Amino acid sequence: MDNGEPLPSFEGLAAAFAKAKADKEREEAQGLKARTGDAVAANKQGEVHFKALHGIVIAFFTFLLALHLVGIYLFTSGFLLTRLVLEEKSNCAIPPINSSRSYSPASPSTGCWHPKMFEKAIVIIVDALRYDFTVPFNSEGPDKPHHFHNAIPVFYETALHSPNNAFLLPFIADPPTTTLQRLKGLTTGTLPTFIDAGSNFAGTAIDEDNLVAQLRNASKRIVHLGDDTWHSLFPGYFEPNLTHAYDSFNVWDLHTVDNGVTKHIFPLLHPSNSSKWDVIFGHYLGVDHAGHRYGPDHPAMAAKLNQMDEIFRKMIDQLDDDTLLVVMGDHGMDAKGDHGGESDDEIQAALWMYSKQKLFGRSSPSYTTPPATAKERPVAQIDLVPTLSLLLGMPIPFNNLGAPIEEAFIGPKGDDFENLATVHRLAAAQIHRYQHAYAQARGLDENSRASSVSLWRAANNAWDSVAGTKKANKEQWINVYKSFSRYQRETLSMCRALWARFDIPRMVNGITILASTLLVLATYARGLDGDHAELTPPLLTRSILGAIIGTLLGFGASFAIPSLPWEHAVSYSTAIGGVIGSATAFWYVRRRIVYPFPTTIWGWTSVVFTLALSAGFAANSFTIWEDEILLHFLTTFGVLLTISSFRQRNAIDRALGCYHSSLFIILTRVASLSRLCREEQMPYCKSTYYASATSSTSAPWQLAIPIVSAFLLPNLIRTYYKNTRNHQGSAVLWLDVALRFGMLLGAAYWTLDAADDGDWYPGYGKLLKTTKTIIAQITLAIALGFGYSTFSWSKPLLKIETRSADSKDKSAQVVADGGRSSITILGYANVHGSRYALLVTMWFLAISLVQKPMGAGAIAIAAWQIFSLFEIIDTNKLSDSAVGPVILGLLGSFYFFKTGHQATLASIQWESAFIPLQTIRYPWSPLLVTLNTFGAQILCAVAVPAVVLWKQPPKKRGLLGDVTKAIATHLLFYAAINLATTMWAGHLRRHLMLYRIFCPRFMTGAVVLLVVDVMAIFVAVGGTRVSFLSVAEVFGWT
Amino acid sequence: MAAANPAEKSKSQATPIDLLNYDTAKLYTHVHPILLLSLYFYSFRSIVADPISTLSRTLLPLGVLQIAYVAICLPPTGSKDVVVEKRKPGEKKKAAPGKLESGINGKIIPAFLSLILSTLAATPLLFGILILFGAPITTHIFETGLCGAHIAFLSTIPLVYVHGVDGEKWKEIVGLLLPIDEVYGCMIGTMFGAWMGAVPIPLDWDREWQKWPITIVTGAYIGFAVGKLLGGTLLKGKRIKFE
Repeated sequence: MDNGEPLPSFEGLAAAFAKAKADKEREEAQGLKARTGDAVAANKQGEVHFKALHGIVIAFFTFLLALHLVGIYLFTSGFLLTRLVLEEKSNCAIPPINSSRSYSPASPSTGCWHPKMFEKAIVIIVDALRYDFTVPFNSEGPDKPHHFHNAIPVFYETALHSPNNAFLLPFIADPPTTTLQRLKGLTTGTLPTFIDAGSNFAGTAIDEDNLVAQLRNASKRIVHLGDDTWHSLFPGYFEPNLTHAYDSFNVWDLHTVDNGVTKHIFPLLHPSNSSKWDVIFGHYLGVDHAGHRYGPDHPAMAAKLNQMDEIFRKMIDQLDDDTLLVVMGDHGMDAKGDHGGESDDEIQAALWMYSKQKLFGRSSPSYTTPPATAKERPVAQIDLVPTLSLLLGMPIPFNNLGAPIEEAFIGPKGDDFENLATVHRLAAAQIHRYQHAYAQARGLDENSRASSVSLWRAANNAWDSVAGTKKANKEQWINVYKSFSRYQRETLSMCRALWARFDIPRMVNGITILASTLLVLATYARGLDGDHAELTPPLLTRSILGAIIGTLLGFGASFAIPSLPWEHAVSYSTAIGGVIGSATAFWYVRRRIVYPFPTTIWGWTSVVFTLALSAGFAANSFTIWEDEILLHFLTTFGVLLTISSFRQRNAIDRALGCYHSSLFIILTRVASLSRLCREEQMPYCKSTYYASATSSTSAPWQLAIPIVSAFLLPNLIRTYYKNTRNHQGSAVLWLDVALRFGMLLGAAYWTLDAADDGDWYPGYGKLLKTTKTIIAQITLAIALGFGYSTFSWSKPLLKIETRSADSKDKSAQVVADGGRSSITILGYANVHGSRYALLVTMWFLAISLVQKPMGAGAIAIAAWQIFSLFEIIDTNKLSDSAVGPVILGLLGSFYFFKTGHQATLASIQWESAFIPLQTIRYPWSPLLVTLNTFGAQILCAVAVPAVVLWKQPPKKRGLLGDVTKAIATHLLFYAAINLATTMWAGHLRRHLMLYRIFCPRFMTGAVVLLVVDVMAIFVAVGGTRVSFLSVAEVFGWT
Repeated sequence: MAAANPAEKSKSQATPIDLLNYDTAKLYTHVHPILLLSLYFYSFRSIVADPISTLSRTLLPLGVLQIAYVAICLPPTGSKDVVVEKRKPGEKKKAAPGKLESGINGKIIPAFLSLILSTLAATPLLFGILILFGAPITTHIFETGLCGAHIAFLSTIPLVYVHGVDGEKWKEIVGLLLPIDEVYGCMIGTMFGAWMGAVPIPLDWDREWQKWPITIVTGAYIGFAVGKLLGGTLLKGKRIKFE
């Protein structure tokens, strides 16, 4: 057989015959001969056995899917703390509580809920202004002053020498100490969470009530200067001709932003310009950048702080009497000058307020000296929101949780406790109103906040008793102030527990479940000898039994210990019970357990590359550049397969292997040209997915891509069928007509879509919309409707010919030789693979429709590559190895990027929901977005069984077991990635880049795992039932 | 790894290449990687500063050093066959050529051949492979080409010098079927080093040396030295198994 069958259709046989079971199989192949009655019965039995086994395999995979779900659920519920964003806005005319004795609600011109104290304000953020930068260095002790000490004394001096004009306080940030999150806190008065679940899910604009929006509603003219983060948070809020924003990402540049702010702020202070604005928000970045670049203890930091000192002295000089000047740091910096975490140095910023009028005071004379350290008399950053709101006569933003700052309301003599109690009552009442609305929106019962409600009643009683008396004394007012303040603090700590704290036990339990499920899956995929399907029944029964026992234990435990959250206890114990159950099953079949470590280069590379990718997700750089890393890995696999092809003894195997491996490498590189860069990849990446980097529409030339692939791809796939003479029966109609027609319709859809978007035919917009929607629906009907019926009812792609015995054609299997003629089965060599792979092309058609033109091209290349991979795996005899399913995993992940996606929320192509529909419809719209987003992973998951079925003999035993093994291996790849990204996200939960990089990658990994689970189990393994039954109809079960 | 796959090619009959049996050869083979690495790290700063001109300037010394290495240390291609031919009767005159003449025939020609092939065949091939592995297509063409040339000079010159241009032999070389020796170690080490050189590129360290293709070339040089050392000592005679 070695020297020269010219036709590749024989190779499948060559491979099979080379195996040890060859003799047996040849006997079985005789089964086509007339059967006896016994044989019919045995055949029937074989079919029943297969169906039962197939069902059990699906059930076991579903059990693993459930474990993944529970693990991800537990981790997510501890990690992705969500806060509902309420739409309500505070209204100037409606104070949260009946007004105090002396003041009735009024307009912004006199002050909404409380008389205002300032007409105008300048609010300056000095990014990363740590508190200890602003206070003098305490010379006692052996320490010497650092560069950052005593470099910006202006705040301390003014607060000390004119306490009625200025005060300086430590200003404590809520982690994460990143500028974006801090700005949210400083303007809304809320605590940061992962997902502020509001209407504006994908964008960054703040849509809950905030100080800037209140100012804008009151027709104040707001100017912004500096860091451009403000513009993504408050788009269109600022006076366009006075506002100047600067890019905030270049941390090496210490001066551009600062000089820009300074250049534009001082002209505005000039009396001739003072009528042009009401509030200025300035944002200096130099101190932060100096910290990032040099660290705080560096002469550049001292120089920067000196420069700031000068600027603020100058600002004090030029300030008019009606304007309040606020300077603050949004966070601090650690010893290396970085921030994002929750260490003391990072959260301790400084707050300084200044006014030419003598309005500020201290409740105790000893408070005149600003605190020496940030531990004394700190205020929270959210306290700025009610303080500034009331000082400027604005209503307190609806979601605010902060309290007014004492120094600003106590009066110059430091004894106006009535005023202090009044403002605290207003803030507390707004908090109470917010809490009530939140509890209603979330369906929380009053019991969960019983303690804060009772504090609220006590504070109100205190107020009523004092407000009733004609002349209340100072102590009574202090009591009222303190009780409202207690309520505010209690509510804040309650909210912090609710929103801002990670639930570590839940996270750890979730990771435990995911990790132990990974072990079960790994043992199942790679650690068992023999037919996997036959081993599944005991695994399933024991796992289910374990899970049931676990559930009972969980319920028992949550009854016994009522403080345990029952859903946490039950889900955890169920999952762990299931895992233990499967472990006992592995013990039960322990003789079949094999050495778990890889023994071939393929096993090793599969493991090493999966682990390398997983480990890389701990670094933000490797996460950002995942697409290029996948290209590198896939090319490496291509090279290894080329080398392996060179090692093949059979000349045809060698030549075909080399050809397909080279093709595989080149196609990978061609597909890699389709890119959609994420922000962090700039400037080293150029997007090609859309017409330009700033658009999300395709260029006209890109519309040709789907048309070209509609002409090429069906022909290419056909060659893979023709090689083994499987281009028969349904395959002809499907590949040559339906698939091509569907792809052409897809191309037509995108052309119409471009015509509609670009308004090429004005006046026909509605017609275009209707037409393109119908075309898309027809395409989907062809792909999944016609496609699935073809797949379900197609006969195996064979042709049986009777030939005379002297025929020399060896291209097909000769079955019977009794007499002068023989029966020849064309397409015998790849009956399983060709039959099953029809399913791949169907899903390909559906997926390619919902991709943009560039993505349709990429996914077409993916399909081509997948068929090449089948050939490579076959010529290198690797169908039993882990390498096929793992390469498909890498391919799926790679093409995720090549179809215009990134592991960021912003890259989700929401508009794909509207391809075959004109309105949002459940469940179709989310399914369409899923098909668009994870189309590549879905296609590759559906292709997995074909890797082990390609060119396998029809009557080979244990094929279902091989499919099971391959699917398990494929899932193992995604499960490993998911576990890694989950662990890294949990471990790096206070990392600067958590929100931007690690959290989105974790969410992508989790969703991908679940989607691939579902598709691999129900579409891929489910599909093999159809194709096996259809093959067995011809070849029998015995 | 235990059972040989029957479908895989039977083991090549080739034996590992031994160094020439001179003291000079045995000494220089250890000096050579040190020289190469010193050359490289001596010019490292200027490579970082100006990759194109420095990489093209260092190409010549690299070629010279490599030629010196193969000429001093390695048996040229076909040296055993030549010996057999010399023993044929009736050709006594040619049987004992002058030392200089045999040097020219036996060494200079393979050395020259290996230099030509590395430049004209291996460099474009490696350029293509670098592109396939993700090197930029529209920019940095010269950097990529020079990177390919350095890798080619490091890996291919000794191989061509020792094994010549026999097609079957090269199929075995590409298929990683030869037993490991110093020369094979050089090639595998260089390739592996260049492969590993891609790892630091994406890191956000903002270092000048992270730019294309410096890490790849550095990896190739280090890989060459390590591969040569291991191939000539620890791993000598071992075979690479896939299954």
